[in-house]
Amino acid sequence: MPLPASIKHEKNIVFVSNIAIFLILVFGFRFLGWKGILVYAGFLALLLFTIINVWQRPRNIKDTITYQALLIGGFFMVLPFYWMFITSFKSYKEALAFPPTWWPTEFHWKNWVEAWNAPKGNIYGDPPVPLTFTRYFYVSIMVGIVTTCGSFTVSALAAYAFARMQFWGRGLFFYIIIAMMMIPGQVLLIPNYLTLAKLRWLDHYQALIIPWLASVFSIFLLRQFFITIPEDLWDAAQIDGAGRFRFLWQIVIPLSKPVIITAGIFDFLGNWNSLFWPLIVTTRPEMRTLMVGLQAFNQDAGSDFHLLMAASTFAVLPIVIMFFFLQRFFIQGIARTGLK
Amino acid sequence: MAISFQNERLRKRRMRILKQNAEAFCYLLPATLVLAVFWFLPVILSIIISFTNWKGLDTWTTVKWVGLTNYFNVLQDAEFHQTILNTFNYVIYSVPLTLLISLLAAMLLNSQIQGRSFFRTVYFLPFITTWVAISIVFRYFYDREFGLANYFLKQMGMPRLEWLSEPRGIWTMLFSTIGISIKKPILAGPSLAMFSIILTTIWRSIGYYMIIFLAGLQNIDKTYYEAAEIDGASAWHRFLHITVPLLSPVTFFILVTSMINSFKVFVPQLIMTPSGGPDNTTTTIVFHLYEKGFQGLWLMGHASAIAYILFVIILIITLIQNRILGRRVHYEV
Repeated sequence: MPLPASIKHEKNIVFVSNIAIFLILVFGFRFLGWKGILVYAGFLALLLFTIINVWQRPRNIKDTITYQALLIGGFFMVLPFYWMFITSFKSYKEALAFPPTWWPTEFHWKNWVEAWNAPKGNIYGDPPVPLTFTRYFYVSIMVGIVTTCGSFTVSALAAYAFARMQFWGRGLFFYIIIAMMMIPGQVLLIPNYLTLAKLRWLDHYQALIIPWLASVFSIFLLRQFFITIPEDLWDAAQIDGAGRFRFLWQIVIPLSKPVIITAGIFDFLGNWNSLFWPLIVTTRPEMRTLMVGLQAFNQDAGSDFHLLMAASTFAVLPIVIMFFFLQRFFIQGIARTGLK
Repeated sequence: MAISFQNERLRKRRMRILKQNAEAFCYLLPATLVLAVFWFLPVILSIIISFTNWKGLDTWTTVKWVGLTNYFNVLQDAEFHQTILNTFNYVIYSVPLTLLISLLAAMLLNSQIQGRSFFRTVYFLPFITTWVAISIVFRYFYDREFGLANYFLKQMGMPRLEWLSEPRGIWTMLFSTIGISIKKPILAGPSLAMFSIILTTIWRSIGYYMIIFLAGLQNIDKTYYEAAEIDGASAWHRFLHITVPLLSPVTFFILVTSMINSFKVFVPQLIMTPSGGPDNTTTTIVFHLYEKGFQGLWLMGHASAIAYILFVIILIITLIQNRILGRRVHYEV
């Protein structure tokens, strides 16, 4: 239902004036401290006064309060990102200046190159090795893609069996898998480490990939979706002469694309962001994932915050870009987990 | 003749079922293999290891069965008591605060204003960024000399704080400004170092729980609110008698999952306070496990015992939550 033009116009005024008043808070605080907050409160009171006495619309008062709360919260959400990004272009001296500067006096683009190529020490105290972030990115992307694809294949097959096939012990087996979701990963850590040591997989790609090939969460998520696909489709496919595998590959999987993308995103994200597991199963610097490499760099760089911020920025960037393209699937996937 | 015909049918049926089973197990084989070796087996193995004096990369032939010694050692370790206190402090302060703030954010976003999806993106962004980068940024943020946190305090005319290297509890610090000193460590609250980490984790997870709450709020039928408004219920009463009961399944889910996740926290502590924080006040249970198991001494048996104690703690807390709160959860019919 479209709003009347006058109300829409008024809503826009409320929107813009709210942002303006919030900016007064930010800049007022920057230059005036406490007094800045008083100035902000004054302007806010003025706006509310106008709404109450001139427009007389309670709806706008409610909106104003919502905006101000969301903007203040949003400010604190964005601040660390802004700070990380802006510091990555400052000089060493400026990054350690107090009071800090909100905009670099001079942009040092070279920081990114320097951080990317900086020699990295070993987290276990070995001397620095000439490794660049190229290697870490390579390992992370490699492991991430192989794990996600492998986990998708393994999970889709298992989920399909659970959803559409009859076999002995189906219910029991499924309950065992669900129960596995509740076990804290730390319990599995030590035996898994020893198993990998026994298999001589430590410091190899296998150690980073194979234990994560079956994701209980993905199996569960896909199974829940596969159940909803009507049985008639299977009958029709059978009449057309398709086998089970062909049915799964050509009909079920294309139909459940959104769920598969969601599961894939979470697999990839978990893999990309994980620190504990790769930290333990890799000791050779050239087998480090990006996160372990970043942590090692963090320990070496000490107070070279301009370089640390540059490294953090490019470690975060791929995921942020991915998020902007696939936002819908992120949000849907998470919203789905809370509801049945 | 008739009997053999029946037998033939039975045999065919059996063959069909057998074939079906064989096919299903082919589909399940890869997942089963990985889950059995890396999930199911370890659960049993780690119990066994926790009863031995396993060290480093020992093998079965060189280790000795020590019974419950590891468990006694862990439970009598003063360091472990400190980590238990730290972890409980972390959970007790971070979970309710996160839940409250994310519920508030979800309710604000559940209104008809411009730029909703923008705000949703902004609030959600911290959750997808990695803990390692976040912890590095916040280490800088909390820095004593040139951190933004101290800059804000200075702008407000307050003295500098030590943030990540302050061992005193937040309540001790707060009450000492008005002349009351708190002696008992339980009452002191988390140390300021731990509280700084708690603030960071809240900052990171608000967006995630907000999305779940938002989905829950949007699931509530609008007609309830309209009916209540016609009957003259105030906004507070509508919240208390419609939103709270109908949101309770979601809230319960979030409470349980966030509680479990908080007990397993480790990475922010490792990066922001690599040595366990001032006076070991940021060492959590998993951090302790990492120190014992994978640094220096490689006490695998000891570390496995810690892991199982953590498991039991989580299990008990979850069961208590189920008993006390599970009954009050209001599922819509």
